[in-house]
Amino acid sequence: MRVEMFTFLLAGLICLGGALGVVLFRNTVHNALSLVATLFGVAVLFIAQEAYFLAAVQVIVYAGAIVILFLFVIMLLGVDRADQMGVDPIVGQRTAAVVFGVAILGLSLVALLSGPEVVTGTPATTAALSSDIPDVNQIGEALFTDYVFAFEITAVLLTIAVVGAVVLARRSDGPVIDEDEFDGTALDALALEEPSDVGDPDQDTADGADPGSGADETDPDDLEEASR
Amino acid sequence: MADVLWLIPALPLAGFVLLMAFGRRLGDPLAGVVGTLTVAGSFVVSLFALFDLNSLPTDERVVQQTLFTWIPAGGFSVDIGFLSDPLTITMCLFITGIAALIHLYSIGYMAGDENYSKFFVYLNLFVASMLLLVLGDNLLLTFLGWEGVGACSYLLISFWFTDEANASAGKKAFVTNRIGDFGFMVGTFLVWMTLGSINYLEINERVHGGIAAGTATAIVLLFFLAATGKSAQLPLFVWLPDAMAGPTPVSALIHAATMVTSGIFLLTRLNPLLEEAGWANDVIAWVGLATALVAALAAVAQNDIKKVLAYSTISQLGYMFLAVGSGAFVAGVFHMITHAFFKALLFLGSGAVIAAMAHEQDMRRYGNLRKYLPITTVTFVVGWLAISGVPPFAGFWSKDEVLAAAWDNGPAGPVMWAIGVVIALLTAFYMTRLVAMTFFGGKERWREPEELPTDPAEAAAAEHEAYEDAPDAHGHHLTPEHTPREPNWTMTVPLVVLGVFATVIGLINLPFGEKVDYLADWLDPTLAHAHEALSAGILAVLAAVAIVVAVVGIAVAWRVYAQHKGSPEKIELPAFEHALYIDDTYAAVVGGPGEAAFDGVATFDSEVVDGAVNGVGRLTQLTGRAVSVFQSGFVRAYALAVAGGAVVLLVFVVMRMSSS
Amino acid sequence: MIIQVPPTVPVVPEQLDPSAVPLAVPEIVWSAVAPALVLMIGGILLLTVVSLVRKPLPSWFHATWTVATATAAICATVPLWQRVQDNGASSEMAGTVGLDGFSLFVTGVICVSVILAALLLEGYLRREDLVGPEWYVLMLLSASGGVVMASANDLIVLFLGLEILSVAVYVLAAMHSRRTSSQEAGLKYFVLGAFSSAFLLYGIALTYGATGSTNLAGIQTFLADNVLVDNGLLLAGLAFMLVGFGFKVAAVPFHMWAPDVYQGAPTPVSAYMAAGVKAAGFAGLLRVFVTTFGPTYREEWMPMVAALAVLSLVVGSVMAIIQTNVKRMLAYSSISHAGFILLGVAAASDAGTSAALFYLLVYTFMVAGSFGVVTLIGRKGDGRHSLEDYRGLSRARPGLALVFTVFLLAQSGIPLTGGFLAKFYVIGAIVDEGLYALAAVAMLTAVISAFLYLRVIVAMYFAGPAGAEEGSEEPAEFAGPPVRIPAAAGLALGLALVGTLALGIVPGPATEVTRDATAELTVGN
Repeated sequence: MRVEMFTFLLAGLICLGGALGVVLFRNTVHNALSLVATLFGVAVLFIAQEAYFLAAVQVIVYAGAIVILFLFVIMLLGVDRADQMGVDPIVGQRTAAVVFGVAILGLSLVALLSGPEVVTGTPATTAALSSDIPDVNQIGEALFTDYVFAFEITAVLLTIAVVGAVVLARRSDGPVIDEDEFDGTALDALALEEPSDVGDPDQDTADGADPGSGADETDPDDLEEASR
Repeated sequence: MADVLWLIPALPLAGFVLLMAFGRRLGDPLAGVVGTLTVAGSFVVSLFALFDLNSLPTDERVVQQTLFTWIPAGGFSVDIGFLSDPLTITMCLFITGIAALIHLYSIGYMAGDENYSKFFVYLNLFVASMLLLVLGDNLLLTFLGWEGVGACSYLLISFWFTDEANASAGKKAFVTNRIGDFGFMVGTFLVWMTLGSINYLEINERVHGGIAAGTATAIVLLFFLAATGKSAQLPLFVWLPDAMAGPTPVSALIHAATMVTSGIFLLTRLNPLLEEAGWANDVIAWVGLATALVAALAAVAQNDIKKVLAYSTISQLGYMFLAVGSGAFVAGVFHMITHAFFKALLFLGSGAVIAAMAHEQDMRRYGNLRKYLPITTVTFVVGWLAISGVPPFAGFWSKDEVLAAAWDNGPAGPVMWAIGVVIALLTAFYMTRLVAMTFFGGKERWREPEELPTDPAEAAAAEHEAYEDAPDAHGHHLTPEHTPREPNWTMTVPLVVLGVFATVIGLINLPFGEKVDYLADWLDPTLAHAHEALSAGILAVLAAVAIVVAVVGIAVAWRVYAQHKGSPEKIELPAFEHALYIDDTYAAVVGGPGEAAFDGVATFDSEVVDGAVNGVGRLTQLTGRAVSVFQSGFVRAYALAVAGGAVVLLVFVVMRMSSS
Repeated sequence: MIIQVPPTVPVVPEQLDPSAVPLAVPEIVWSAVAPALVLMIGGILLLTVVSLVRKPLPSWFHATWTVATATAAICATVPLWQRVQDNGASSEMAGTVGLDGFSLFVTGVICVSVILAALLLEGYLRREDLVGPEWYVLMLLSASGGVVMASANDLIVLFLGLEILSVAVYVLAAMHSRRTSSQEAGLKYFVLGAFSSAFLLYGIALTYGATGSTNLAGIQTFLADNVLVDNGLLLAGLAFMLVGFGFKVAAVPFHMWAPDVYQGAPTPVSAYMAAGVKAAGFAGLLRVFVTTFGPTYREEWMPMVAALAVLSLVVGSVMAIIQTNVKRMLAYSSISHAGFILLGVAAASDAGTSAALFYLLVYTFMVAGSFGVVTLIGRKGDGRHSLEDYRGLSRARPGLALVFTVFLLAQSGIPLTGGFLAKFYVIGAIVDEGLYALAAVAMLTAVISAFLYLRVIVAMYFAGPAGAEEGSEEPAEFAGPPVRIPAAAGLALGLALVGTLALGIVPGPATEVTRDATAELTVGN
C-alpha cells in the first residue's frame, strides 16, 4: 500500500508538473518536452494499475512518435518565435478561466468524493482489475468481442483524418478573399466577367456598421501575408 | 350547395395565383379586372350559399363541410373544413360585396401605379385570407386566416414604402399584432386542453358545464387580447392611425370594413364561451367604451382626413366591443355591418378627395369642394349622416341598438350608456368638422398658398412635412391653381352603391318588434337573443336622446367650421391631437428602458465579442504575424463560456446529489 | 459510494483460459448497419474512383454519386424499418448498435440533409472555382458518423460516431481555402469541438465509473436494478455529457461557436451543419438522456436540459434580431430552433421524442432551403450576406424571393408550413408534462423570432437602399452581379420547398412515422 501510494503521488506530480510546463513555458520546445514528462507520468500510472500494454503503447506512440513529430514541426518552423502573451484581449479572461477551472475541479471532487468510501460502486463488466490473464489478451478480447464495431469504425475516422490533412495542406491558387476587406470591390474583382457595380459606396458603410460580424479586423498587410 | 363553400375563399385565392403568375403581363387595367371578377364571383357564391341556407329549417342552418383531415387523430385532430351558418354567411356577404366594390374602385385609384398588378395580388390574397378566417370551422384555420390578413395588412401598409420612416408604420402594426397573436395562440391551447377540441361546433357544444368559470374567463381574456391587437383597441390601437400610410382602398377595405372587425367576429363566434366567462365580459365592454372615448377625442383634433377616419374607426370598433361585452352579439354584428358600409364609403370618398386634390391629405388645405366634386360630396354626406346617427340612415339603427344594450348591461349600464352618448356627440361633431372643412365653408383654402397651420408649430410642421414626403404624394404638389376634378366611373360607381347601402342597410334590423327584426331572426341559430328587449317606452326615450345629441353635435361643429364662428383651438386640444399621448408613451417606453435592455444585449455582441475581435486585430498588427486569423483571442472566450456552463451544471448536480 | 446490490449482481466475466476456449466473437450482422455502410462505402469508393481515373471527372458526377449514395442509404432503411415494426427493436454487434425506429428515422433525416447539401454544393464549387471530390467524400463519411451516432447503443460507439461526424465537418468548414473566414471557422470549430469532446469523454468515463458499463442497455438495466446511494459520480457524468451534447447542438451557453462557424463556413456546409450535424447531435442526446436515463434520472437531468432550452430560445431569438448579416442571423435562429427541440427532449416522453424528431425533419428542409438561397445570393466569393444584399431581390429574382419567404415564414411557424406543426407538437408535448412555464417561453420567443424573419422579407420586398435619397420612388435596386441558379441548386430548393410545405399540409404520414420511431434499448444477443 505504501509503495503504491508513493508511486501514485510521484507519478501524479510528474503528470501535473509536465502539464503546467506545457502551459507555462514560453519556449515551444520546452512545452513539447514537458508534454513528454506528462505522458511518462501517465505511463507510470498505467503500470501501477497493471495495464502494462497500455503503458507501453503510451510511451511508444505518444512520447515516442507524436511528441517527436511535434518537435520536428517546431524545429522546422523555427523556435525563436515566442508568442505575445502579455496582451489580454478580453478583460478578466484569465481570472475567469482560473476561477472556472478551479470550480470544475472542486465540484468534480465534491461529486467524486461524496461517498464515504470508494469511488466506483461496481466492478467493470469488461475487464477485471486483476486477473491471471495478461492484459494484452484482455484488451484483444475486448476489442474483438464487445467493442468490435467501435474498433472497426475507427478506420473511418482515420480515413477522414488523412483526407482532411491532405485537403487542408493543399494550397489552392487564386486570390484570397478576406471578407473584412470586402467592400464590394474585392468580390467584384472576382466577378469581373459579370456585370457589377464596382465601388458601390453603400456597401462600405453597411459592412462597417455591421455589429454582428464576428471576424477579425485586419489591415491590408495581413491579406498579402496570408496569401503568401 | 354547401359543398361548394370552399369556392368562396378559393376564387380570390385563384385570382391571387393567377395574378401572381401573369399579373405583370396582364398589366393595367386587366389585372385589376381579373382581381375584381374573382372577388365578385365569390360574392355570387356567397349569395347562393345564403339562399341555400335560408331554404333549410331554422334549427338546421349549420352546415359543416370537411375537406380533409389536416392533422391526423391521436389526441389532437384538426380538419380542414368550412362552417356555414348565418353568422358566417352574413360575414361572407358583406366582405365579398364590399371587397368587390373596392376592387372596382382600385382599378381607377391605382391606375398608373408601377406596381399595379402587385397591388391586386395582395388585395386578392387578403380577401382569401379574410374569408378563410370567417369560414374556417376551427380555431386553427381561423388563426391561419388571422395571420394571413395580418401579413397582407403589413404588405399593403408598406405598399408605397420606400424609406425607413414609413417602414416603421408596418413594423408597429406587426409588433402590436404579434402581441395579440400571442393571446390567440395561448387561448387556442387552453381551449384544446380544457375542451379537447378546437372545432367551433364542438367547443360551443362542450362549453356549457364543461369548463370552469375561471378558465373560461382566462380564455376569453386571451382571445380578447388577440382582438385588441387586430381590432385596434386599447392598449394596442396605436398601429391603426399609422396604417393610413397605405393606399386609400386598403384603408377602406382592411382598416375599416373587414380585417379590423375580425376581433369582434372571433368573440362573437365564441359567444357560448363568453357567456361562461363572467367578469371578462365587463372587461370587454369597458375597454371598448374607453377606446371609443379616447379615439373619438383624438378624432376631434386630427387634420389629416384619413387620420380622422382612422380614429373614428377605432371609436366605432369600441362600440362593437361594448355591444359584445354587454352580451348583445346581434347588435355588435349589426353595427359591424352598417359600419362596414358607411366607413368604406367614407374612406373611398376621402380617397376620391385625396386623388382630386393632388394627394394632399391635410384638411386645412381643403374647403368648398362641393363645387367641384358633386357626386363625392353627396355620397360623403350620406356617410356622414349615417355615422353621426341621424335617422333613417344605417348608423342610427345599429348605434341605437348598441346603446340600448349598454343601458341594459347590469347596474353600470346607465353609466356606460351615458358615456356612449357622449361618444355619439363627439362622433357627430368630428364628422361634421371633417365634412365642413372639406366640402363646405366657402373658402378654397388651397388657393391661399402660404397660409400654414397656426397649431403648435413644430409638431404640425413635422406632420405636414411627413405627409408631404409620403409616397402617397406621388411627387405632386397642390398648387393654388389646382382645380379638383371628379374621378372616373370606376371610382364613383362604388361610392354610389355604398351610399345606397349606407342609407338602407339599417332596415335589416329594425327595433319595431319581432316582425322586422330580420337580422336577429336570421342569426338566431348562432346567436341566441342574449338580452331581453327593453320596453318600447325606454327604447324610444333612448333613441330620442341619441337623435338630439347627434343634432347638437352637428350643429355645434357646423357653426365652428362651416360658418367660422368660435375658435377651433379651444376644442382641438394638443392632448387630443396626440390621442392622449398613449402612442407617445409607448414610444418613450420602448425607446427608453426597452431599448436600453435591447442595447444591453447588442452591447454584449458588439462590445465583448467585437472588442475581442478588435483586440486581436490590434494584437495582430502589433506582432505582424502572418496567419493572423488563426490566432483568435475569442476562441478562448468561447471556451470560457463552455467552461462556465459546465460549472453551472456541476453546481446544480452537486446540489442534487443524494448522499450525505 | 455504497450500492445496495440485489441478488442480480452484474456478471464479472468468467475466467477464461485463452488456450482452451475459443474467442466468442459476436455475430456480425452487416445488414443491421446497412445505411451507415452504404454511406461509408459510397464515400470511399468515390475517393478511389477519382484517384484512379486520369482525367478529372465532371463536377456533376461527384454530386450525382453523393446523392445516389444517400438515396441508397435511405432505401436501405426501408426493409430495416419494416423489420423493426414487425419484430421489434434489436441490438447487434455485441449490443453496441441499436436497431430501432428512432435510429432509422434519424438516419433518414441525415441522408436528406446530405442530399440537399450535395445538390447545393455542386453549383457552389463550380462558382467558386473549387475542385475536388473530397467535399463529397467528407460529407458522406461525416454522415456515416452521424448515422452511427444515432444508432449507437454504447457510449464508446456513440463517441466515435460523434468524432467521425465532427472531424469531417471541421475540415469541410475550412475547405474554402481562399476565404480566410472559412479557414478561421474551421479552426475555431476544431479547437472548441475538441474542448467539448473532452467534456463528453470525461462524462462518459464518470458514467462508466458509476455504472460499470458503457453499454446503454447495460446502464439502463443496472440503474433499474440498483439504487445508487451516492449518485454524485453519475450526476457529474451526466452534467459533463450534457456539456458535450450541448455544444454539438449549439445550445446556449455552449453556442458561441455557432454564429462564427456558420457564417465563416462555405454556405452549403453551413446548411449541412445546421441540418445534419444538429440532427445527429440531438439523436445522441435523446438516446442517452431520454431513453437511457429517462426512467431513472429524469428529475436530475430534466431541469438542466430545460434551462439550456430556455436560454437557447431567448438568447437565440433576441440575438438573431440584431444581426445584419443574414447568414449569422440564420445561425442565431438555428440556436433558437435548437431550444425548441431541446424542449422536446426536456419533455422526456414518447410524445416529446416524436415531436423532436418531427421538428428535426422539418427543420432539415427549412434550414437547408434557407441556406440554399443564401448560397445563391452570396454569389461569387460567398461574401454577399448582408441584409443590404437582399434588398430588391423580389424584383431581380421574384421566384427566389418567394421561395425564401416561404422558408422564413415556415421557420417563424406560420400554419400550413411544417414549421408550425413542429413547434406545435413540441409545445403540446411539454404541456402534456405539465411544464406550462416552458410552453409560455416557447410561444413568446416564437413571437419574437417572427420579427427577424420579417426583417429579411421586408428587405427583399420593400425597403429601398439605406442611403438612398429621400422621397426616391424607385423600390430598391438589387445590387451586385446577377444571381445565377444552377440546376442542382434549383432542384435542392424545390425539394426543400416541397418538404416544408408537404409537412405542413399533409403531416399525417410523417407524424405517424415519428410516432413509431421510438428508441428502445435492447440487451445484445
